[in-house]
Amino acid sequence: MKKELEAIQAEVLQALKQINTQDQLESLRIEYFGRKGKLTDVMKGMGKLSKEERPIIGKLANEIRSSLSDAFEAAKTALDSKQQGQQLKAESVDITLPGRKPTLGKAHPVMQILQRIEEIFMQMGFQVVTGPEVETEHYNFDALNTPPDHPARDLHDTFYLTDGHLLRTHNSPVQIRAMENQQPPIRIIVPGKAYRVDYDVSHTPMFHQVEGLLVDRHVTFSELKGVLVSFARQMFGDQTQMRFRPHFFPFTEPSAEVDISCTVCQGKGCRSCGHTGWIEILGAGAVDPEVFRAVNYDPEEVTGFAFGMGVERIANLQFRIPDIRTFYENDLRFLNQF
Amino acid sequence: MNITLNWLKNYIDFDFTAEQLAEKLTMLGVEVETIKQLGIAIDGVVVGKVISIRPHPNADKLVLCQVDIGKEDKLQIVCGAPNVRDGMVAPVATIGTELHSGVFIKSAKIRGEESYGMLCSEKELGISPDAAGLMELAPELSIGTPLAEALGLDDTVLELEITPNRPDCLSLIGVAREVRAETGNELRHPQIELNESDTETQGVTSVTIDDPELCPRYAARIIKDVKVGESPDWLKQRLESVGIAVINNIVDITNYVLMEYGQPLHAFDYHKLNENRIVVRRAAEGERITTLDEYERKLTPDMLVIADAEKPVAVAGVMGGHETEITDSTCDVLLESAYFSPSSIRSTAKTMGLNTEASYRFERGADPENVILALNRAAQLIAELAGGTICKGIVNVYPGKQEPIQIQLCPERVNFILGTELETTEIEQILSRLGFGIKMVQQEGLDQEAAPTEDNVFQVTVPSFRVDITREIDLIEEVARVYGYDNIPTTLPKGDIPVPVPNKLAEVRRRIKNFLLSSGMMEAINYSFVHPNCFEKIRLSEGNPLREALKLQNPLSPEMSILRSTLIPSLLNNAQHNHNHQINNIALFEISTVFVQDKEPTRVSGILAGEIGGGVYGNPYKHPDFFDIKGIAEGALEVCGITDYAFKLTDEPTFHPWRNAELLLDSKRIGILGEAHPEVLENYELPYKAYLFELDLNALTEAADFAKQFKPIPIYPSIQRDLAIVVDKEMQSDLPIDIIYSTGGKLVESVKLFDVYIGDQVPDGKKSLAYTIMYHSATETLTDKVVNDLHDKVIRKLNQELNAELRM
Repeated sequence: MKKELEAIQAEVLQALKQINTQDQLESLRIEYFGRKGKLTDVMKGMGKLSKEERPIIGKLANEIRSSLSDAFEAAKTALDSKQQGQQLKAESVDITLPGRKPTLGKAHPVMQILQRIEEIFMQMGFQVVTGPEVETEHYNFDALNTPPDHPARDLHDTFYLTDGHLLRTHNSPVQIRAMENQQPPIRIIVPGKAYRVDYDVSHTPMFHQVEGLLVDRHVTFSELKGVLVSFARQMFGDQTQMRFRPHFFPFTEPSAEVDISCTVCQGKGCRSCGHTGWIEILGAGAVDPEVFRAVNYDPEEVTGFAFGMGVERIANLQFRIPDIRTFYENDLRFLNQF
Repeated sequence: MNITLNWLKNYIDFDFTAEQLAEKLTMLGVEVETIKQLGIAIDGVVVGKVISIRPHPNADKLVLCQVDIGKEDKLQIVCGAPNVRDGMVAPVATIGTELHSGVFIKSAKIRGEESYGMLCSEKELGISPDAAGLMELAPELSIGTPLAEALGLDDTVLELEITPNRPDCLSLIGVAREVRAETGNELRHPQIELNESDTETQGVTSVTIDDPELCPRYAARIIKDVKVGESPDWLKQRLESVGIAVINNIVDITNYVLMEYGQPLHAFDYHKLNENRIVVRRAAEGERITTLDEYERKLTPDMLVIADAEKPVAVAGVMGGHETEITDSTCDVLLESAYFSPSSIRSTAKTMGLNTEASYRFERGADPENVILALNRAAQLIAELAGGTICKGIVNVYPGKQEPIQIQLCPERVNFILGTELETTEIEQILSRLGFGIKMVQQEGLDQEAAPTEDNVFQVTVPSFRVDITREIDLIEEVARVYGYDNIPTTLPKGDIPVPVPNKLAEVRRRIKNFLLSSGMMEAINYSFVHPNCFEKIRLSEGNPLREALKLQNPLSPEMSILRSTLIPSLLNNAQHNHNHQINNIALFEISTVFVQDKEPTRVSGILAGEIGGGVYGNPYKHPDFFDIKGIAEGALEVCGITDYAFKLTDEPTFHPWRNAELLLDSKRIGILGEAHPEVLENYELPYKAYLFELDLNALTEAADFAKQFKPIPIYPSIQRDLAIVVDKEMQSDLPIDIIYSTGGKLVESVKLFDVYIGDQVPDGKKSLAYTIMYHSATETLTDKVVNDLHDKVIRKLNQELNAELRM
């Protein structure tokens, strides 16, 4: 009987190797383990054994039965996983087909730069304020120490409206409005559109400016330098050098034009910077006492500084668009690039 | 303004190269825009002397010259020029030179004879078109010197940008003063010595100033028996090198002195002046003058003119008259040197549309104390270069003499403003180098608390040429720029950061922009100017207040002549532009202020047209429809926390009459949207439908509510029931929703329309609407019975109110 059991064990193990489907496995199971199965039959013969043999053979039979049962289980698992594998294979996709990207829009390149500028100054405690684009001579010029016969007015080709108003030529009028509406300390930036009669590859009649103003009891020129250097390092990179050149604006004294080291050649000199290594990015200066007087501040009590920059110019340091009028054509092939 | 390096060196010594000088001047605030080297094309050409000539053995028309170019070895050069002769001094292009014409000089055998260079004509050097023979050089030139140097062509031109506050820099001496501030070297003024005749100037002319306010000073000299002709080469070269046209010796001299001193001068033909005298007055009504440019100009009484006894002979400080100008036949000259009021010159020049070297300087402010110096300098040069004798004395009328400006400067204030720690001696040195008179005085009348001060202040006397300096702060800028802005420390502001004020409009703007970007729309920016015909193109009704747009007085073009009151035409233009360039997936928006009467409301507007979507396999393009644009508008409101809005069909002619809506908030219109009317599409040449919206961000801001409140997550399950009803086709599909909510009360969690059907399966004139209703209670698990009863009640109500039949 022992031999029979061992023969069955060998037979089953051999047969399991040939099994390919769950159905075959089930038939095999019935063949040996079913009610009339071969192993069942052998087990049924146990009764005929002697008292001495019975426990020994019984133990052997249980061992064989258990090990075969494990073998069946293993075969079933193997078949399951093979089957799942086939099923998954049938679900294969061409992974080189395009992904279904959500269609996202893009902010206008000038707005992307403007937003970055705003963020940098906001980190330094500047607040964003805005003001009207249709202005009066008073706010655009007179209150900014630029009386009607001042030669500086030549530098601003102004659009006038038929009703005598004008389109602001810079965002500086908002400085005046802000100072009229609040007392120092003032720390604001003014983003927005300004207008000048100018239309060529480097000028659009409407452009964006960010104007800044800081007024307090004791604000120094060195602090103006500090704020602008911090701005430039964040905007153009840690290595950016800055140069302050004396200049003239009616509403600041002392006044400066501010250059950064050329973003193309890092200051070595190239075509982009006219071989000087420097690129002008903004105008700045200490608020002129006359401007304080125009808003009834006492220039002996407060000092301040102001600065203004053209956003298109700064954007174009990065984008290098040969004709900046392209910004306002809204050609989707252009807008999609940024 | 242009200057040259060599010319500048006439007035001050310095060791800078052109680049160094440019850097120094720029950092002083006199920006150098370009640096241009003169005479580069004649590099390698030197002054040579022909020391012997013999015939060429193999050619009749050629000769062999021995040429001295200042070296031990003489050069043999083969030459064919007809004017070559022994002893002639002429330019020699040495081996290795590339001439103006591109010819490269190398040693060569010409008809069997060696030639080590080339003797040149003016044409070959690019100096003039003269090719008749060799260029004849002055025999006294030093043999071997580079030609450019010998001819004074080895100069460098600097182009300066002088800011409007610095008219004192509009001259060579003015720029030299800036160099003095940098180097401390002394200025060298021109030596002026005059040989005056016995004829008294006062005896042959007179000057009357009728309006001393507009003309505070007028001086004149007479130079008799001049010979008008060409100027000498050095003078012509100087003027040409800085871009001033050469006219004749008299005019050239006035221009030369203008460049030297910054003082505009004018020369009249003395004999063409009626009664040979000058009257400075305002123009009379109806007077006219023909100016030097031969235009007849109308004069008005607000203009200052220089007149003779009868009529205007020059527009004061702007341009001389044609009739009295210097001609070849002029023999006696009246030379004017004057100071005019800047604002008067400015307004006259502007009215006439004339911008001359003279008006440019006078309107910014000349130096009244320069008048006599410049007059004498010009008289000297005329006598030297054009012959003539200078009459004795000057007619000098000076009714408007001003005392020099005195300013108190507190040294502490300098450091207070700049953030520096300058010593008083440094400040003193800087200001005196700039030509300011400076002395220390006991301070008086300054408020002790106002600014940190010491007992002593500077008393600063402003030189007459510095018209821009009137206040202490102006002096502080002078100190700063000469000290060097780069030397001022860089620090961060020490003051308090003001308390920020919330800006709700900016928040609304930001949220809506982010929503539109995530909806796949691209941001556009358009000019604020539009063509007035845009209102016609979008079929705006006649009485629409948006038509009352602001107009520009001086537009660049009709396309840019009014300020837009709506963003819609701009976006339609963008669609047209893109369609014209075969770009047809148009999804654009713009957020901008518009101009409506005297207000500047902020609007957001968008357009969907052509094909939107990814346009790739699996995410194909689709044609947008009304509900795409409606969904965008709804989303924009919802990101601002606005939910209780309503849509209502309008009769706005811009839109398809049955596919449009206004957005109402508390029955006030806050926006509009819809399909563009076919005629609008035609006006913008769009071959496909376009969907537009425009919302008023200011109204949205008022209604926006960003506050969020937590609602408990449901504990009990929801029960779903679907419902399809058949109703009249024209019925609004939001009516059943209202009824479902009101009937179901608190137990209705949500209602969604998931299908609309019109067709064979429903009777004519009817449509089927299918809704998913979620029932839910916050306090218990709903039983089927409760839900079924409620659902039946909803169905009955729909039947009663809307005559809706349940669709099985």
